[in-house]
Amino acid sequence: MTTEPKVISLSERCRAHSGLCRILQLPFMLLLLFSTACSKGGDGHAGGTAMDSTLVITSLGDADYLNPVIGASVTSSNIFGLIYPSLLQSEFDTTTGLLNYMALEKQLRSSPSGHTAKTPKAALARTWRMAPDHRSITYTLRSDAYWDDGKPIVAGDVLFAYRLYGNPVIASPRQQYLAELEGAEKGEIDFSRAVMAPDDTTLVFRFHKPVPEYLALFHTSLTPMPEHFWHNVKPEEFRNSPLNRKPLGAGPYRLKSWKPQQELVLESNHRSNLPKPGNIPQLSFRVVPDYTVRLAQLQTGAVDVVENIKPEDFQGLMSSKNPVDIKNVGLRVYDYVGWSNIDQDEYLKSGRAVPHPLFGSAAVRRALTFAMDRQSIIDGYLGRYGVPAVTDISPSLKWAFNEKIQPYPFDPQRALSMLKAEGWVPGPDGILQKDGRRFSFSLYTNAGNARRNYASVIIQQNLRRIGIECKLEVQESNVFFDNLQNRRLGAWMAGWSIGLEIDPMDVWGSDLEKSRFNFMGYRNPQVDRLSALAKEKMNPLDARPYWLEYQEILHRDQPVTFLYWIRETQGFSRRIEGEELNISGVFYNIDDWTLSPSRTLAP
Amino acid sequence: MLTYIFKRLLIAIPLIFGVLTLTFFIIRLAPGDPAAFFIQPGISPNVAMQIREQYGLNDPLPIQYVKWLGHVLQGDFGRSFSRAQQPVLEVIASALPITVTIALLTLIANFTFGILIGVISAVRQNSFIDRFLTVTALFFYSMPEFWFALMMIILFALKFPLFPASGLNEVGAEGFGPFGFAMDRLWHLVLPVTVLSINGAAGIARYVRGSMLEVIRQDYIRTARAKGLPERLVIFRHALRNALLPVITLMGSSLPFIFSGALFIEVIFAFPGMGRVTVEAIFARDYPLIIANTFISGILIVFGNLIADVLYAVVDPRIKL
Repeated sequence: MTTEPKVISLSERCRAHSGLCRILQLPFMLLLLFSTACSKGGDGHAGGTAMDSTLVITSLGDADYLNPVIGASVTSSNIFGLIYPSLLQSEFDTTTGLLNYMALEKQLRSSPSGHTAKTPKAALARTWRMAPDHRSITYTLRSDAYWDDGKPIVAGDVLFAYRLYGNPVIASPRQQYLAELEGAEKGEIDFSRAVMAPDDTTLVFRFHKPVPEYLALFHTSLTPMPEHFWHNVKPEEFRNSPLNRKPLGAGPYRLKSWKPQQELVLESNHRSNLPKPGNIPQLSFRVVPDYTVRLAQLQTGAVDVVENIKPEDFQGLMSSKNPVDIKNVGLRVYDYVGWSNIDQDEYLKSGRAVPHPLFGSAAVRRALTFAMDRQSIIDGYLGRYGVPAVTDISPSLKWAFNEKIQPYPFDPQRALSMLKAEGWVPGPDGILQKDGRRFSFSLYTNAGNARRNYASVIIQQNLRRIGIECKLEVQESNVFFDNLQNRRLGAWMAGWSIGLEIDPMDVWGSDLEKSRFNFMGYRNPQVDRLSALAKEKMNPLDARPYWLEYQEILHRDQPVTFLYWIRETQGFSRRIEGEELNISGVFYNIDDWTLSPSRTLAP
Repeated sequence: MLTYIFKRLLIAIPLIFGVLTLTFFIIRLAPGDPAAFFIQPGISPNVAMQIREQYGLNDPLPIQYVKWLGHVLQGDFGRSFSRAQQPVLEVIASALPITVTIALLTLIANFTFGILIGVISAVRQNSFIDRFLTVTALFFYSMPEFWFALMMIILFALKFPLFPASGLNEVGAEGFGPFGFAMDRLWHLVLPVTVLSINGAAGIARYVRGSMLEVIRQDYIRTARAKGLPERLVIFRHALRNALLPVITLMGSSLPFIFSGALFIEVIFAFPGMGRVTVEAIFARDYPLIIANTFISGILIVFGNLIADVLYAVVDPRIKL
């Protein structure tokens, strides 16, 4: 049998070989052909006009709706924010951490530094007047603002939009903003009184209770919608309407093209006077799901902005051929280890809130915090992009942040003695035990988060050192969230991204039925009281003492172990100029950015 | 044969309905909530409820099933939860052409290179070239696609920037004219198709080599040689035709792959194809989209198997349907 191949003659063998060589050569020749045919074009594009006038931003996912009433994803709101006009211009004051609101001729508070990144020219409102009893606010709108089809923007457009935001059939994710309007306390907003547009430039909002001015401005400045364009769309068809794919706006950019799940292109809106046409002629939002590829593209210059760069990649980016800057937006995301303060099994069974056998005591939870080397996690993973956290009020919100509270240091000895005082003593297997119960639990987290994986391993080691057995369990995100929501977990690692308004009741409120995100079952009436008192203050700065005390209580009770604040880091191509980032967003002043001439065009 | 095909198609109908019904219930049993995205601080708790109402998820399960069945029988698979209420068939229609382009290019490359390499290593069994091809094929076959794809990107997009790292077209490709646009598209497809076909061809080469080795030991091959036929005719007309029988099974089972997409490649190269549609739908608990995808892949598997069986009968006269 083995002789058979030898039957092939020598000449045939050579022919077969050369055939093989040709076959092997083919793909390489094709590769070469394409690369030479296209790399010319490619270089041409990279250095030529298209890239020179286009800023390319990558994102993990596509926008959902380019419609401010129903658009829910961050990408969507970044984009429709550039297309639609806004009643007021908001600005984040980094010196105080407060939001400032500007109309054309009025601002809520003057900027202490005198420097404003934003121009009030983008605002539709000329001015506003808050009623002395804080139960209504009246806006006067400018009369020189127009939708892109040339129709004037009038007060009726805002009224129309608020009816949409409040319509339960449309299910707007922003309906919370309408919670103070008249009628909302009874479950149904009375639109005949709550929002009125007596003429084209006057707009009145009425509230069912006194509302602080800053909150009134925040909640009444939702994006208007062109009534003449949308009025024929029935509420039940609102989400399916083809108009969602061709938005009519008035802002510095307008939609040029949208290939779902691929690329969305905005072009500078030359008609816009709110505040002006965007500086960069085109913005391209490209969906690139894979992180490594986003990084590679930033390095090659194929894209200009990549969000959420991991700390381990900074070095590579800094030394890449295409110069990249790493920027961050302030501290608005934190990770924590959550402890079920109540026995979650008992609560699920009978609805009774009894202390958790392991984490029910504040002293034990404090001891757990002492046992965790949070600084090592920061040093090892986040570097200078992490800050130890003490409560859920961000150091970026300077007006409310309590600087006096120092994070509990890493002190395993102290943790041990605190646990001993609580009755936890080492058992025969080296694990602490009390009344025959071993200090052993599972720490759950969601899959696919490298930072939390890193932190959980360090925490596991830290706890093992003082005789606590911590098993790590990773769950698919949907399953993890479902378990958290239903309070099925005893210990977990998760994180929150905070809003710019401080409203802790959803997370720390004592009414466990109402406080949907109090997965811990934490109950402290003083926290409820302080939060209510703070919200009653008409000037946020007057609420500062309450928030200071609130932080002290959280620090003392340690309902969770706050780990660290994360500076979310963004990679920016150095050809971008004029960018200013802060906690309110990466694309805060994108209409003012410029692109420096492409390096390939430079002499 | 027509009766056979008709019978098989008839049996397929309850089979696919069974699969869809199972999928309908199984995905609803999985933990997670299509409206979970709207459960977050700062969003009113009413929103998730209103969204569920809109999606018809507040009805009892049997009622949901009957409603769904009614719509499906009229050819309406509903609207996607996670993709801005687009009709699911539209979502699939926009993803399919991309997936099919990549898959067809890949399949052609797979089978061409796979068969050629397989034949050569079988004919030259145990020679240097056979060992070289076998080792190389095994090397590529055992390489995880996603890793290989990332390495190709690092090599050919980053270190030697010959090809783009991702996307289907360059920024501003619309302005290149139809030929330029097509070339730009092909240029973007070189890396992904190379990754997919190197991996696939290696697998097929192994099959072809095995079955070719078996065939060339048969008596009729010896007879063919003995009667003085040129080696090329012996190999390609007498041996290869018989050796390709198992490859036809492979072709049949590749049909679902053409339409289901290659997830890793789509994620890494940022192509909005079927693989991503399916996986994103599962993560978002987008029930209508998951069911429509199951429907399509169910039909394709049935068709793929049917085509393979029919092809068997066509190429092998011994098989009667």
